Amino acid sequence: MQTIMIVEDDPVIREELTFLLENENYQVLPVTDFETLPEQVRSATPDLVLLDLGLPGRDGLSLCAAIRKIAPIIVVTSRTSALDELRALNLGSDDYVTKPYNIPVLLARIKAVLRRNGSESAEADILKAAGLTLSLTKGTVTAAGQTAELTRNELKILAHLMAHTGEIVSRGDLIEALWDSQIYIDDNTLSVNVTRLRNKLEGLGMPDVIKTRRGMGYQL
Amino acid sequence: MTVREFILDRLERILFHIALLLVIAAFLLMTGTQSGIVTLLLIACLLIYLLALLTDYWRTKKQLNELQAIMNELDQRYLFTECAPKPHDLYERKLFDLLRLSGKSMIESVSDARAAGKEYREYVEQWVHEIKTPITAAKLVCENIDSDTRRKLSQELEQIDAHVERALFYARSENPEKDFIIRKTVLTTICDRAIQTHRTLLIQNGVRVETENLDEIVYTDGKWVTFMIGQLLQNAARYRSAEPVIMMSAKKLGRQVQLTVQDNGIGIPAHELTRVFDRGFTGRNGRNRGGSTGMGLYLCKRLADAMEIGLQMQSTVGKGTCVTLTFPAEMNLSKM
Repeated sequence: MQTIMIVEDDPVIREELTFLLENENYQVLPVTDFETLPEQVRSATPDLVLLDLGLPGRDGLSLCAAIRKIAPIIVVTSRTSALDELRALNLGSDDYVTKPYNIPVLLARIKAVLRRNGSESAEADILKAAGLTLSLTKGTVTAAGQTAELTRNELKILAHLMAHTGEIVSRGDLIEALWDSQIYIDDNTLSVNVTRLRNKLEGLGMPDVIKTRRGMGYQL
Repeated sequence: MTVREFILDRLERILFHIALLLVIAAFLLMTGTQSGIVTLLLIACLLIYLLALLTDYWRTKKQLNELQAIMNELDQRYLFTECAPKPHDLYERKLFDLLRLSGKSMIESVSDARAAGKEYREYVEQWVHEIKTPITAAKLVCENIDSDTRRKLSQELEQIDAHVERALFYARSENPEKDFIIRKTVLTTICDRAIQTHRTLLIQNGVRVETENLDEIVYTDGKWVTFMIGQLLQNAARYRSAEPVIMMSAKKLGRQVQLTVQDNGIGIPAHELTRVFDRGFTGRNGRNRGGSTGMGLYLCKRLADAMEIGLQMQSTVGKGTCVTLTFPAEMNLSKM
């Protein structure tokens, strides 16, 4: 499990962020004593530090400089002037997020930085579930020895369903997941894509592998 | 100053002098001086007088031209009396001193107003930064509650966020040159950030966004353009049709790059199109729908002007609206 250290002086943000990131299966270390921050980072060696630049009585930028050699940093701040941003990036933070952040955006940035720094296992290329084998790089799905090519949208939909095999995935969640991957579709387009995907799977001899749970969503 | 103006100005004095000459001539004739001598004397006097008048004319003209040149070169024209040379004659000198006093009090008022404006702007910026922490906290609290309340609350929070963001950019656009940094950026990054920032609004309004050829490189301030595109996306979601689609695409125009944001929304009537970038203009759509501030496009225009981005809008009622942003070529940016 990956460890994320939260350096944030607002108690509500700290608590809620801890809760949120724990739900996302990260181990979270909220910091309350900012005096000894570099030492704490050194002893805990987190995979990522979320650093608020606006700590009371501390210069966030100098903290950033002190920590950056030990762990990757995402700087979080409500200061958004161009100068602030340049300074933060020049001091070696890995990314820069401004308050108030979109939660999905923040999570995506965290993932990206973790991936860049190699502490997250690279996303598996081959997904297997419910008798289907999905190759993300080739963009193909295989079942019972037969293979079908998928479009980008179909691929992402199937990958998300396969990653949550057995669970009911709501249409809303599916749309959110697609938007995460720069596929900005609406509800109708989702329906069309799911229908096409089903037809392709039927062609592979796998009809009804994606079930519709009325009023709830899809389930693999 | 024309010759006519000059003569009219001096007319009283000229007539007085001529009258004086005539009186002297009459007096000389009466006391028995030969008329030939009087005529010669008159001609000589008039010639000298004419010469003096011409010199006066040229000198006045030169001085006025100098003053005009000083005025033209001044950035802040109210500083004129501080820079102009002091005149010689008594009346002018006194008038000049009075004008200088008046100018001083004007300068004080101007700098007071400037300082007040600056303080206010700084306060707005400060306030915006402070309000962001509670908004962030509220968003996070929101994320961890049941989905129905979350949806409603997050919609409201997005709105608050959008209003706050506009306030910040309004304060900044007062003296924009201080706050943007031109960097090489790929349009994909800018557009993606803008879409992600407003994704809650877009998804909840059932908007589909299509992107095409956005891998063009532009030289601009990414954050400002992200804000501008955000305003366009918000408008597209707000004034949408039944099946809203936003199409974002880019193309090269010589050395420039043109980004097009096209929606299939309700459109803007032709007679309102010229005013959409005016401050506070909401138009028929805004009035019908409510909640429109008339600030979004106004700010877009201001920021675009500051960054030398061409901003154009076309629209057909019932068909949709198309906004184009024309980014300047790299070499044209040197003067900023």
